[in-house]
Amino acid sequence: MATLTWHGSSYPTQVLVLTGRSLRALLRTPALVFFSVLQPLIMLTLFSQIFGSITSTANFPPGMSYINFLLPAILVNTAMQSSLASGIGLVQDMSNGVLARFRSLPIRPSTVLLARNLSDAVRTGFQLVLMIAFGVLVFGFRPDGGVLGTLAALGLALVVGWALSWVFIAIAAWVRKAELMQTVGFLAMFPLMFASSAFVPVNGLPGWLQAIAKINPLTYAVDAARSLALAHPVTGVAGALVTSGVIAAIGAFFAVRGFRRPLSL
Amino acid sequence: MTELMIEAHDVSKKFGDVNALDGVSVTARKGSVLGLLGHNGAGKTTLVNLLTTMLPPSSGTAKVAGFDVVKQAHDVRSRIGLTGQFAAVDEQLSGHDNLVLIARLLGASRAQAHQRADDLLEQFDLTDAARRNAKTYSGGMRRRLDLAASLVGNPEVLFLDEPTTGLDPASRLAMWEIVEKLVADGTTVLLTTQYLDEADRLADSITVLSHGKVVASGTSAELKAQVGQRTVTVTLDSASEVDLALKAINGVGLTPVAEGLTLTTPVSGSRDLATVVRALDDNGLEAHEIGLKEPTLDDVYLTLAAN
Repeated sequence: MATLTWHGSSYPTQVLVLTGRSLRALLRTPALVFFSVLQPLIMLTLFSQIFGSITSTANFPPGMSYINFLLPAILVNTAMQSSLASGIGLVQDMSNGVLARFRSLPIRPSTVLLARNLSDAVRTGFQLVLMIAFGVLVFGFRPDGGVLGTLAALGLALVVGWALSWVFIAIAAWVRKAELMQTVGFLAMFPLMFASSAFVPVNGLPGWLQAIAKINPLTYAVDAARSLALAHPVTGVAGALVTSGVIAAIGAFFAVRGFRRPLSL
Repeated sequence: MTELMIEAHDVSKKFGDVNALDGVSVTARKGSVLGLLGHNGAGKTTLVNLLTTMLPPSSGTAKVAGFDVVKQAHDVRSRIGLTGQFAAVDEQLSGHDNLVLIARLLGASRAQAHQRADDLLEQFDLTDAARRNAKTYSGGMRRRLDLAASLVGNPEVLFLDEPTTGLDPASRLAMWEIVEKLVADGTTVLLTTQYLDEADRLADSITVLSHGKVVASGTSAELKAQVGQRTVTVTLDSASEVDLALKAINGVGLTPVAEGLTLTTPVSGSRDLATVVRALDDNGLEAHEIGLKEPTLDDVYLTLAAN
């Protein structure tokens, strides 16, 4: 037998190999890819049809089509949902058994988290591109911001999702229960989604919901994405990016700490 | 002096108020098999977790392949392989991709990694299933893939935590042969098991754990000598001979016990076998069957672990 002396790889190699592993696993599970795309598509279809008549109300910006209003919000929303899936993915990894092996290898635990985060960003990017394609081809999404504005909105949604993914990865690293995360995540996101500027203009909401919407960070993320896609005066993009950066840093810090705890406890 | 590949010195591990390990010391020479024997909850897996750097000890020190498991964890990890009780493979990847993944993480180039994966798949008789998702593998195949994965880096020390639990007899035997081959090639193995025959067959030295403490250690033969009693068993042809035989053996200073047609006599060594044969012969008795029975590891285990 040849004597091999592999005593560990570099940090970037570890991240790259592990990211590749997650993406490969995703590709080998086409059903998962299908449903991860189907869910936001259903949302896009339903909401664009159900809420379409809202354009005729007084609070709606005159002359704007509902799909142009809706799609940037769908992008942010999809990225947010995807970030929850990122945390759940980590919990599943932990029960998959392969993480136990990673722990006995000469690799840094943080690379596992970073890889999870990166591969999910790739997956989210794919989802978002598909949403935009559907919006343009099926629902007549024609934003004033054009291709560049739309891509900028996509990029912003991706950054928001990426930051939230760190939060859910951190929660996953501490909680380690997929069902619990799914339930709590859904309960937290559902009201956040509606008590925001995502589907109707904020001033069309009842007073108490307006109050919530105005402190809901999602409102600001959606407004920023919308301003980019629709070529409105750009509002809150820098704020959204900085906030995302801070959230990501805090999430990553706690994620690494939580993940370091032994698996079997 | 032979190089020690595993050295645990007085290690303890507390989980809250529970002493999972309480002052355990073990050693294993290069190229030997150390068997850890004990029932569920005896502390076997905890000791494996400490030695594989997965858990820090509450007190005590341990070295694996010459490196401290706490201060030089990275060095330890790059020299060990671990196969746990549950197959640690990525079920969403193929067998081949699982092995390539490990090789790449260990620092192999893409080409080396594929080569190593193919070699191991062949060695473990998994070539036909190489491109299938590990999810579709049978229990025995998963264990083989898991073991292959822990061997990707040619580890100097291999930890096998109950490697054959839940395997059918044929797969068990195959696993034993693999381990024997690895040891012949110079790998040091720490094996935990609840199966006495497994420890008896594979281990050069055995440490019996109970409630987190070492209750006995030594070679299989030493343990048996330490605890178990050798016996000479004599089976006679007819019931009428039983009383005569009892008297005859009593007459040479031994204390036989009869049960049916069989007399069991505790003895101190094989010399006593001759004594019993002579005593029977002198009294005109002929045994249907006679033999010296070594104590089994079951005797050792039951006696020690029960305390």
